Amino acid sequence: MITEQQITDVIYSVIDQMNELRDQNLIDKGLQTPLIGQRSQLDSVDLVNLLLGVEEQLEDEFDISFVVANEKALSLKNSPFRTVKTLTDYLTDSINQ
Amino acid sequence: MFIDFLIEQFNRHKDKDALVWNEQSCCYATLLIKINEWREFLSKKDLQPGTVVMIQADYSPNSVALLLALIEAKAIIVPLTESVVHKKSEFIEVSQTQVLIEIDGQDAVSYQVIADTADHEHIICLKQRQVPGLILFSSGSTGKSKAAIHDLKKLLEKFKLPRHAFRSIPFLLYDHIGGFNTLLYTLANAGCLVVVADRKPDTVLQAIEQHAVELLPTSPTFINLVLLSESYQKYDLSSLKTVTYGTEPMPESTLTRFHALFPQIKLLQTYGLSELGILRSKSESSTSLWMKVGGEGFQTRITDDNILQIKADSGMLGYLNAASPYTEDGWFHTGDLVEQKGDYIRVLGRQSEIINVGGLKVYPAEIESVLLQLNFVAEAEVYGEKNALIGQVVCARIRLNEQMAMEDKKAIKTKIKQHCKNALESYQIPAKIKFDEHSQFSARFKKQRTLSGGL
Repeated sequence: MITEQQITDVIYSVIDQMNELRDQNLIDKGLQTPLIGQRSQLDSVDLVNLLLGVEEQLEDEFDISFVVANEKALSLKNSPFRTVKTLTDYLTDSINQ
Repeated sequence: MFIDFLIEQFNRHKDKDALVWNEQSCCYATLLIKINEWREFLSKKDLQPGTVVMIQADYSPNSVALLLALIEAKAIIVPLTESVVHKKSEFIEVSQTQVLIEIDGQDAVSYQVIADTADHEHIICLKQRQVPGLILFSSGSTGKSKAAIHDLKKLLEKFKLPRHAFRSIPFLLYDHIGGFNTLLYTLANAGCLVVVADRKPDTVLQAIEQHAVELLPTSPTFINLVLLSESYQKYDLSSLKTVTYGTEPMPESTLTRFHALFPQIKLLQTYGLSELGILRSKSESSTSLWMKVGGEGFQTRITDDNILQIKADSGMLGYLNAASPYTEDGWFHTGDLVEQKGDYIRVLGRQSEIINVGGLKVYPAEIESVLLQLNFVAEAEVYGEKNALIGQVVCARIRLNEQMAMEDKKAIKTKIKQHCKNALESYQIPAKIKFDEHSQFSARFKKQRTLSGGL
């Protein structure tokens, strides 16, 4: 069992790591931060890095092995990658299932 | 008749060293005697022209003499070294080996008939041409080994043109096209082969000092190992004039470091394939990866999608266990992606190893070169992994220097990414970094590649 808060913390920690490597256009840490779309500060490579970072941290800290960018997630009508919040919800549901 | 040009040369240089083996010299006069002994031996065994003979051996006076005697006897030769002995039964089957000759480390010989006939169409073709043959297996690091069969008469042709004689270490193995090339080149010009017991940096560098070696044909992986081990500090390498490197992409960072340490040593890139032999090549400079390839008997062209194709007079007949790789007009598709600048080309990597990140191409060699610039990175392998979002992502497997192995991995990853960020585009930076304490090279001193996840 992993809580929503724990997952949000993981996402924030990955954002921190990514921001360390960015000189500008820092990614906001907020539930409504958009991860895709025009308003997002992330390009596709950033998004992949974010998702891979989350995967890695889930494995390292919680011993959870889960491919975040999987076919199922990509085919959902409402993308789980829209915001930090939707990603958190998606991961909490999928992992705790 | 096939080795007459060699025999003449040997007779002219009877007193010169042909090989240094087990710390003992063997002069050309002795080599001639050994060749004759083998010819008598083979004729006593009634070895017929066109017989497929596997030689399991490493370089030695006996194995070199046997190879030449078998050429003269019009045998079809399958060299095999210890490095692939685990594939021996597969190789015997694919090559349709009829006779197995083993020469062990003490030069003791065993002779064994294992099959009556060999009837592959390419083998029959060589028999009809009444020429000796050579079967070489590709390393098969990413799949099954393919057996390339050559007409040895054609392959020998280019060695007839006299060139400079060197004292050389046959670093590339006896069953490798590069090793075969070093062997024939050296003998054809009455040079000397300094045989090493193993291919550890210390062994090789010590042999260079002790036997005044001038030429070392090697691989980028070995050069990287020499730099890492710092063994070069212990030996006098002043005799060494030329180092040639081939078989895999050279990281530019390795080339630059080696040249800075040894500005007097000429660094030349070679280009060859077990299917075609070794082309003549000329590097733009010691620090450049640009080279001209070709020479007599070779034509090159580059396809619209930048793959090098070669037409060689001495090219193989085909594979024994795979379809013909030649195009309809007789060109060989190398699978090597190249860049062109006037007459010069630069190999970017194997087409199959290129990583496609959301439509952008990433060349593993380029990223590896950047990773190796970090002094705590001992070895780096870059490969692609399937990703549902953007096709593939760049991954790196890294072996750290021993003193770094205990450090915090997260901090190291950040350092690596920081360094990459300054040298690469964001899509080129490894998204996944794994640490692994195992060495990444094969018995052939070639980087072992992880299978790419593909698209």
